[in-house]
Amino acid sequence: MQTIKYDRTRELRQRAFLLSMLVRRNIKNQYYRSFIGVLWTVLNPLLNMLVMAFVFSMIFGRQGMEIDYSVYILSGNIIFGVMRSSTSGSLPCLVNQRDMLQKTKVSIALFPTANVLSSLVTFGFSFIALIIVMFVRWLAGAYTFCWETLLILTTLPALTLFSLGISYFLSTLYVFFRDIKHIYSVILTLWTYLTPLFYTVSALKNPAVSKFMVFNPMFHYVETFRDMLAGRIPTGVEYLFCYGFAFLSLAIGWLFLRAVKNKIAAQL
Amino acid sequence: MEETKPAAAEKAPDEGEILMDVQNVSMAFNRYEVGVNSLKELVVRAFKRNLKKNKFECLKQVGFSIRKGEAVALIGRNGAGKSTLLKIVSGILKPSGGSVVCNGRITPLLRLGAGFDGNATGLENIYLNAAILGYTKREIDEKLPDILGFAELGDFINSPIKTYSSGMMARLGFSIAVNMESEILLIDEILAVGDIAFNKKCYQKLDELRAKGLTFLIVSHSESVKRYCTRAIWLDKGVVREDGNIDEVFTHYKKMMTNE
Repeated sequence: MQTIKYDRTRELRQRAFLLSMLVRRNIKNQYYRSFIGVLWTVLNPLLNMLVMAFVFSMIFGRQGMEIDYSVYILSGNIIFGVMRSSTSGSLPCLVNQRDMLQKTKVSIALFPTANVLSSLVTFGFSFIALIIVMFVRWLAGAYTFCWETLLILTTLPALTLFSLGISYFLSTLYVFFRDIKHIYSVILTLWTYLTPLFYTVSALKNPAVSKFMVFNPMFHYVETFRDMLAGRIPTGVEYLFCYGFAFLSLAIGWLFLRAVKNKIAAQL
Repeated sequence: MEETKPAAAEKAPDEGEILMDVQNVSMAFNRYEVGVNSLKELVVRAFKRNLKKNKFECLKQVGFSIRKGEAVALIGRNGAGKSTLLKIVSGILKPSGGSVVCNGRITPLLRLGAGFDGNATGLENIYLNAAILGYTKREIDEKLPDILGFAELGDFINSPIKTYSSGMMARLGFSIAVNMESEILLIDEILAVGDIAFNKKCYQKLDELRAKGLTFLIVSHSESVKRYCTRAIWLDKGVVREDGNIDEVFTHYKKMMTNE
């Protein structure tokens, strides 16, 4: 019998392979039951946007909005959606893999990572929906395309790392405290309303709110994206906020995961 | 029984490199007196000052080493720490004391079919399962014909796992574990998989692996392990009570069990 070499490159390749399998599985499972499959990833944000645009354009009007309201809502929602779907998907992922984790030695960080990556893929599909909306609004003369939109590629890594940190933290915590699920769903709803997804901060006309908003990481990711859609290049300070929050979240999540890593298998 | 033993098992156990070295392994669990697994409970108990922890030591200074090509049975009553020891040996749990050195790839044959994804097809599950076990795509591609041939699932291999019977699921799990290249096979209880014909095939496969010189570590309660093992380790209340020839150890073990 030949001895198998445990070199580093093989291990990395193996992990990348496993990760890709997990991502593929997640995406398949997500739309497995639905009749129209992947098309749903595009339709879902579109339909959501239509409802919200219809309801909220009556309430909030269009004060202080640089871009078309439908584009405004959809852009905010798909950015927030990356964080929402990756964290809420990651929360139970270690517990769901209980059988596997108790049976084999496998790097546990891979499971939440796979969830975050599959949310990114979903984001890609939702982006198609956004482009459709932008195109329709452009035909109506309400929106102009600008190249700065492509800069989303510069802040998307920050959003990914931010979601990754929270995912690490939550998936590990859920192993120990099973009621985190309910608490987090409340937090997530609150967070949705505290982030200007369908309203603008300026429309609230409250200086305290604008001050407080700086501490909401999602505010920065959503706002920089909209800046780009409106044709503005985000300032250095905005980038600093985006990546600052990203690395802070990642550090907390990663350190927590590392600290309790050895206790997870015993707790499952 | 001696006749059924594969040839390699006759090899003298004290030659060959040490494949697994377990030294002074202890494992202690921190257990709340009542299981706390929600935040609410933790807070409530913290207020009531009812958070007594007691240390539960399930392994105490366990030490043994296994040489290449040996087949060792791990016996002992329920709760003696056998499964925990297997988990520690395979690296799933980290011992609270002592060290485990393992120079080879381990295939755990515990709970077959666990961790399959019901929505995925059998074929997809082969890749997923083997990837989780630590194999690369190329290695799985190479072994795929063997796995498919052994599992004998026919066209079912392209249907979702949730349509499988439990026997079929176990067949697939066994087939993956047993056909992948590894040095050490960990088996929790001799398996009763599928129908009689397949069962026979499983035992033949295990015989074949033994003959190839694979190292076995089998947790068992029954004497049927004598088919593979020459050595037994008797674990009692977290300590190694006896380690030696399987016939002797089993005799003592049975004597103790009937005397109580």
